[in-house]
Amino acid sequence: MDELSLIHSSQHGDLDAFNSLVLAYQGNLFNTALRILNDEELAADATQDAFLSAFRSINTYRGGSFKAWLIRTVINACYDELRRKKRRPTTPLEPDVDGDEMDTPHWMADPALTPEGQLEADELEHAIQHCLDNLPLEFRTVVVMADLQGLDYSEVAVATRSPLGTIKSRLARARLRLRECLQEFRELLPAAFRLQEEPMR
Amino acid sequence: MNFRDVELLSAYLDGRLSPSDSHQLESRLASDQNLQAVLDDLRTARGLLRNLPHRRVPRNFTLSPKMAGLKAPEPRVYPVFRFATVLATLLFIISFAVNGFAPLARPRLSAAQAPAVGLGGGCSNCGPSESVTATPEAPQAFSALAPTEGLPATQDNSGNLTAPAAPIAPKAAAPFAANNLPAPVSTKAPIPLNLQISLGFIVLICGVTAWLLRLRSEKEFQKRWNRK
Repeated sequence: MDELSLIHSSQHGDLDAFNSLVLAYQGNLFNTALRILNDEELAADATQDAFLSAFRSINTYRGGSFKAWLIRTVINACYDELRRKKRRPTTPLEPDVDGDEMDTPHWMADPALTPEGQLEADELEHAIQHCLDNLPLEFRTVVVMADLQGLDYSEVAVATRSPLGTIKSRLARARLRLRECLQEFRELLPAAFRLQEEPMR
Repeated sequence: MNFRDVELLSAYLDGRLSPSDSHQLESRLASDQNLQAVLDDLRTARGLLRNLPHRRVPRNFTLSPKMAGLKAPEPRVYPVFRFATVLATLLFIISFAVNGFAPLARPRLSAAQAPAVGLGGGCSNCGPSESVTATPEAPQAFSALAPTEGLPATQDNSGNLTAPAAPIAPKAAAPFAANNLPAPVSTKAPIPLNLQISLGFIVLICGVTAWLLRLRSEKEFQKRWNRK
């Protein structure tokens, strides 16, 4: 069954069809939420809320990129989580002394990487997440959508309900800030920086 | 280099510049090493983000019918039984109300009719509350009427006139109907007990059937989801 048929069936209340869409997009939504919230539990909650909200309001979907539409719901769910977190800040029972809450669980480790390689990859991920966390929320949202989820400018504009010019500007500012932030980690992760270079278009 | 240049570089990286703007920027990049370094850094930052490991989801986020607020579909005949239950219940309640209020309404009717009618009447079957009583002004009228009917009226200690019941009873309906007078009030309940029992039975049967139909539908719905 193609995506359009699944969406159409979902709009008629077919939960099976909607769950097929959930399985197809849950990775995208969870990773988007994770990069915005930097908390796996909160990201899972936001993802679940987003799918629930998407099912309830699927009749408001009027075509276009379904992925962008879903990402908008998860962004809204993330904003709700952040507001909730701000209202009721929580303190961990044990202080996070080494800041390893983002450590990749053992089952997620890439078996192709050596322990050193895995360590480098983890450090790189920490560094990037740290830089993302330092971005203002609206910049983080745009950069996550465009660079992590690969949405184009118009899809990001639709998802954030912002003009295209604003998206271009926010993305440029976000990348500029990331560049400045990542420069702090250049010495820590020189190999990774060198490896990520892409040929110019 | 200003922010406008950064915007241009960012859009250039994403291939969002027009061919003429791209050409112009490329010629600037060729001559400006600082601009080229910024472009490299932006590209690196973008590349790092794009290559961030994609985390596996900790669990599936599929929705259950309960989460989605879906209910088991109603069996086709369920609304019929539900409607029948509601209707029968209403009728059942109304029947009790009618039977309950009927005795309260009778004495008032009798009292109101007596002076207007000015006629003693009643029957042996009627209880004390149903005997027609006359006001003190009534005796003349009543006594005037009584001989013509051939029925001696009796007067009790309080002055109330009581018509002899037995001789009148068989003929009672005719003069009342002929003179457009209200018929004597009966002690029988307006809604028979048999009908009330039947209604109660219908309520019970329809209600239980509707509930069983719903229960079976919900169980089948649950079973279908558990199989998936």
